[in-house]
Amino acid sequence: MPVMRYREALNAALREEMQRDEDVFIMGEDIGVFNGAFKVTNGLLKEFGEKRVRDTPISENTIVGMGVGAAMTGLRPVVELMTINFSLLAMDQIVNHAATIHYMFGGQVRVPLVVRMPQGAGHQLGPTHSHSWEALYLHVPGLLVAVPSTPEDAKGLLKAAIRDDNPVIFIEHEYLYGQRGDVPEDEDFVADFGQAAIRREGDDVTIIGISRMAVTAQKAAEQLAQEHEVEAEVIDPRTLRPLDLDTIVKSVEKTNRAIIVEEGWPHGGVGANLAALIQEQAFDYLDAPVARVTGADLPMPYSKPLEQIAFPHEPQVVEAVLATFRDV
Amino acid sequence: MPRLSDSMEEGTILKWLVSEGDEVKKGQEIAEIETDKATMTYEADEEGVFHPVAGEGDTLSIGEVIATIGEDAPATSGDNGGKPKEDAPEAEADEEDRAVDAEAAGEGGDAQPKAEQPESKTASGDENGRVKASPVARRLAKEQGVDLASVEGTGPGGRIVKADVEKAASGEAKPATKAEAKKDDAPKREERPAEREAEPAAAASASSPGTSDPKVTETGTTKGDVSVVDLTRTQQVVARRMAEAKATIPEFTLVAEIDMENAVALRSKLKEVAGEDAVVPSFNDMVVKACAFALRDHPRANGSYKDGKFELYSRVNVGVAVAAQNALVVPVIHDADQKSLGHIARDVRKLAARVRDGTVSPPELAGGTFTVSNLGMFGITSFTAVINPPQAAILAVGAMQQRPVIVDDRGKVEARHRMNVSLVCDHRILYGADAAEFLGRIRALLEEPLAMAL
Repeated sequence: MPVMRYREALNAALREEMQRDEDVFIMGEDIGVFNGAFKVTNGLLKEFGEKRVRDTPISENTIVGMGVGAAMTGLRPVVELMTINFSLLAMDQIVNHAATIHYMFGGQVRVPLVVRMPQGAGHQLGPTHSHSWEALYLHVPGLLVAVPSTPEDAKGLLKAAIRDDNPVIFIEHEYLYGQRGDVPEDEDFVADFGQAAIRREGDDVTIIGISRMAVTAQKAAEQLAQEHEVEAEVIDPRTLRPLDLDTIVKSVEKTNRAIIVEEGWPHGGVGANLAALIQEQAFDYLDAPVARVTGADLPMPYSKPLEQIAFPHEPQVVEAVLATFRDV
Repeated sequence: MPRLSDSMEEGTILKWLVSEGDEVKKGQEIAEIETDKATMTYEADEEGVFHPVAGEGDTLSIGEVIATIGEDAPATSGDNGGKPKEDAPEAEADEEDRAVDAEAAGEGGDAQPKAEQPESKTASGDENGRVKASPVARRLAKEQGVDLASVEGTGPGGRIVKADVEKAASGEAKPATKAEAKKDDAPKREERPAEREAEPAAAASASSPGTSDPKVTETGTTKGDVSVVDLTRTQQVVARRMAEAKATIPEFTLVAEIDMENAVALRSKLKEVAGEDAVVPSFNDMVVKACAFALRDHPRANGSYKDGKFELYSRVNVGVAVAAQNALVVPVIHDADQKSLGHIARDVRKLAARVRDGTVSPPELAGGTFTVSNLGMFGITSFTAVINPPQAAILAVGAMQQRPVIVDDRGKVEARHRMNVSLVCDHRILYGADAAEFLGRIRALLEEPLAMAL
């Protein structure tokens, strides 16, 4: 298997799907001539032309609205928004329209739209560019939500998202764009929505890492094994809706402990939701309260040191895990 | 505070009859306690050095510590409502074993210390005496018979965690719970169906009734010595299925008295015509045959209520409860409606013999759609039985007896053969009127047994 960066894997997914199905086209700010703010769409304008690779004005609500209309009339648009913060401008189109139309019209119309966007902190882009909002979209019935954390999943899940007839919120991560990993070259390789990945097996504690935090969780797990003799099982849900709760519950039944690590805010977060589901379905297997490690409950700071302590790193995860075993 | 009367909820220490530091003997009177009914003296149930915890005049709830009797426990003053002080760890440790435990004193030494009782407080208890334990620890403790009050928690804030219970279960010298502790890991939800499948096999092992030797685990309790006997697998199955039946089946019972004169006459005729070695059908065989006929006409009696649906069976398979050593086994006469009375009689003899010598096979115990249980041979005149789930009903057959019966409208009384039967029904599938018709059909067939030859 060739090694690719996350952004290259996404690029390969877009290219392959556009080659496979001429109804697939992409839209967004600076995705054509500039090759994308994060170079995900590099070379696609040259290969597929202006009809299928459309640079748009800075107007998120309009871009997504065009995507909804195109999807309703039979095309398979992939819309890129420059960051998840900007997607709030398109919230009406995403929540009131994309998520709802299939229901409102009694199933007569489908909206096979993909909205791609990166999230995440660490690059000193301040509170209007750095948030992690998978929880906002997880909240909305009618939307599928993918949070790939590896190049392989970036490709497999994006291809699956494009082929899916539901609107998909596809959340990438700025930190992950440069990360490398093995990616299958096979054009028919498609990942399954609703299938969690067990990134590391262990018997002592279950760590569920969301988006980039799946990577942080794995690093923390190695540290726990080497320094504390704690063997953690690391689960990456990969998609939050549909959610593979079975894999999580099965793991918790084995380990009796669960920690959720996410970059987003604590209140109403993915971890809050998962903690509720775990205690509902595995209460009698829990040996400690379900713990969460989340981003700080504040707008993302611009200052580098403050930004760095405003989202989770390995030491916080290690500490949270140990606190489920003993007083620390 | 000991429970000195059934209705007592609290008691008042009127007077201590011994003093701080006194050496008391078992049985020595140590206090006068006023209860809701009377003033009573209370005797020490241990010997040792006496240290009062409650003061004279204090009123305490049942179960609270009034005094400790130990080797050299330091005194704790009585001004704290009878609760041991936090700063007296040695006293606490001592109380673990020796506290004047009200429940134990009142109800005999077999009472386990309860989590709610202050004297069994450990590091894991909070001020209300609630033991702090994780959900999985609680579940394991329950399954393995571990008393959480006696476990020390090593989790955050002293919480008892799974590992603590596992350690307690494996290390504790508690023979009473050993069988439980030996069990494999916690039974998982999804294992239940498999367990069900295994039942016929389990029932089969009934034939080898190996009851383990009783183990004496405690001596000198108010109930004398306590012997604990492990159940055989069949006994476990019986216990579980009977409890399941009683807990889940809304049952009702119909009772009928059956005129057996014609049956008696038929049997003596059959005896006459039977050859030397031939099996003569018993009255119970006639009951089985009558049930089989009636079941054919009443499909719901030959069915099961299962998961919100009726299951009706095309074959009529009548089980006959047979008492074997230490077990209860129900061999099945398959297709009893299609077998002659003689055929049924021979099958029942053969199966009963196999049950007794332990060679009965699982297929011979499986597939019953109805059960007949007869205790007439023990002189029982009538009784009710527990339905063998998921069957719809069970017929409990009493002894046939001669009874005085009014035979005409002038009140003439004659001796007649009569027999009581009780039909216990699952009301979810077999309703009153239907059950009455079904039982009426059984009665009609037994009162005119020649009809069974048709």
